Amino acid sequence: MGIVHFVRGAAAVALAAMAAVPALAQDVRIGYAISRSGPGAPGAQTSQEPNYIMWAEQVNAAGGLNVGGKKRKIELIGYDDRTDAETMLRTYEKLMTSDKVDLILPPWGTGLNFALMPLAQRHGYPMLSPTATGRKLLSLKNPYFFPLLQQPDVMMEALATFLKARGTKTAAVVHVDELFGLEQAAALEKAFKEKGIQIIEKKSYPFGVKDLQPVLRDIKAKEPGAFIALSYPPDTFLITAQSKALAFNPSAFYAAVGTAFPIYRDKMGAATVEGVMGLGTWNPKSGPAAKAYFDAHVARWKKEPDRWASAHCWAGLQILQQAVEKVGLDRKKIRDYIASTEFDTVIGKIRFKNGENVSTPGVVSQWQNGEFEVVWPPERATASSQFPKPGWN
Amino acid sequence: MSLWFELIASGLITGGIYAVVAIGLNLQYGLMRILNISHGEFLMLGAYLTWLAHTVLQVNPLAFLPVVALVMFVAGVLVYRLCFYRIVSTAPAVEVIEARSLLVGFGLLYLVQNLAYLAWGADLRGYSFLVETLEIGGARFNLNRVVVFGFAMAASLALLAVLRFTLIGKAVRAMMQSPTGAQLVGIDTKVLHPVVFGAGLALAGVAGALLSTVFEISPAMGEPYTVTALIVIVLGGLGSALGSLLGGFLLGLVETFGMHFTSPSLKMVLSYGVLIAVLLARPKGLFTR
Repeated sequence: MGIVHFVRGAAAVALAAMAAVPALAQDVRIGYAISRSGPGAPGAQTSQEPNYIMWAEQVNAAGGLNVGGKKRKIELIGYDDRTDAETMLRTYEKLMTSDKVDLILPPWGTGLNFALMPLAQRHGYPMLSPTATGRKLLSLKNPYFFPLLQQPDVMMEALATFLKARGTKTAAVVHVDELFGLEQAAALEKAFKEKGIQIIEKKSYPFGVKDLQPVLRDIKAKEPGAFIALSYPPDTFLITAQSKALAFNPSAFYAAVGTAFPIYRDKMGAATVEGVMGLGTWNPKSGPAAKAYFDAHVARWKKEPDRWASAHCWAGLQILQQAVEKVGLDRKKIRDYIASTEFDTVIGKIRFKNGENVSTPGVVSQWQNGEFEVVWPPERATASSQFPKPGWN
Repeated sequence: MSLWFELIASGLITGGIYAVVAIGLNLQYGLMRILNISHGEFLMLGAYLTWLAHTVLQVNPLAFLPVVALVMFVAGVLVYRLCFYRIVSTAPAVEVIEARSLLVGFGLLYLVQNLAYLAWGADLRGYSFLVETLEIGGARFNLNRVVVFGFAMAASLALLAVLRFTLIGKAVRAMMQSPTGAQLVGIDTKVLHPVVFGAGLALAGVAGALLSTVFEISPAMGEPYTVTALIVIVLGGLGSALGSLLGGFLLGLVETFGMHFTSPSLKMVLSYGVLIAVLLARPKGLFTR
């Protein structure tokens, strides 16, 4: 045993010397590019990079990353990709080929992850992506790609089931004209059709719109039972404020990305967002692991994590940590281990099947008294739902 | 009836915000041919100052407007002295000023935006302000939007009045019409240029402060406003403050009506359609003589 270790260590030293890597060769070097500026920055800095940094700090404080039984410190190498695919790709290319980092952490957002997938496969780096979703990505059958979020159809199916069970018959939908909005809208239409919920109005709008009052006014006049906005953060805020102004208060009011952000509650006011539903997975009441994660995040960053992707990101880091502990830093072995194992994480068990996270169910969350409560499915619920939605306050 | 009223009001509110952003930029361009592409970044600074004052010191954002205006004015004078003074005083022709100031503007854009990232990070920020609903003639609006519109109008009209009725306003207008002639009759560009540049930044800061009461803010928030301001300026005419005001209203109304009667997704098509139509019909802008 000791001899094996010695040989392995000696080999590592020899390799390190050949690659002329400086004295930190014993550290596990983990590289990434992330949006610190550009349009992706608010999302990346809410749900993703703070978790990367906090994870490395926690692991190092506990002595280091357990690499097949031996503790080694993590050296994080992070760059700003300016939410630009070109910059992002060049950065990862450098990290993989000339810096020869041991592992990578993925960039932010569906688009950038989509762009990185071929490169990651070519150089054999597993991607546990916290903020990428869409069947289109999975259909590429990239063996190194493991997206952690629920797929759009899973989320929309859960919403449709939730609404159907509460007697919803009609719905109006607006969606942002981006890949995300289009895919969510297609999934929603399919799910609602299956459940017999009629979509009486469907409109799209461009990203960055500053006024949607005329659209909301038309929708209000049609009196839908449910209103679904497949929106990005700026429009989520806008739609909420303007629906309130118009006193447009359907029984179910749902907005997509951004509802799970604490800033949504803080900017709009906890009383205003009472009863608003959206994409979420968890909250501190989901379990002791979730609570511990939440408290650590607040202590480290002086701000709360968002109630959707943040915990998925943390789960991805836990999976990576468990895989490295088991099989070391051989990336092919890490990939195979991730693909074939069920993991315990902050959001419960996670198992991948053909690259899809098939363990995390579709979830509906709702703001109640300043917390984004999970209200569906019942086995994950942290509170019972408020239905119909109370009036705007 | 109420539908039309609501659409018009919606369009005017949006347009009024566009106008106040555009006027500051147009003032700088009209007087000095400085195309300050980093205008939106100073708008962003105004928004962050107001957010800080409101969240840390609990200052009313509206009461804080004069402070923002003053701080941004001083910043404007400094930026002018550091970045644009040499360009304006050494350029052999106005076209050269345009080209060089554009480059400097790009540099400032990245500098200011990244300083904001360093200072406050990329998180969305915001605070709740006047979220009540205001009902006018059967139509309902967010109170903060209406207030923003009111203050944007007040700032724009005050500026128009200054340009029209005061001696310094007369000097500015003279400079715009004929830089050489104005200097011949004794108008001092060494004073006027920094003051007007500072006033442009003060307006950007005020616009940002007002916008922070309605929208969430981030270091990248300014860029789209710069683009919109450029459209408005071309619509209304280069150098014309009144033109910017009317151009802003026009753009706001076209967007609101267009989005209502066609599809919201066509917003960009509508904005640029109007721009192209105006460029074809009246290349110097709708409201220039």
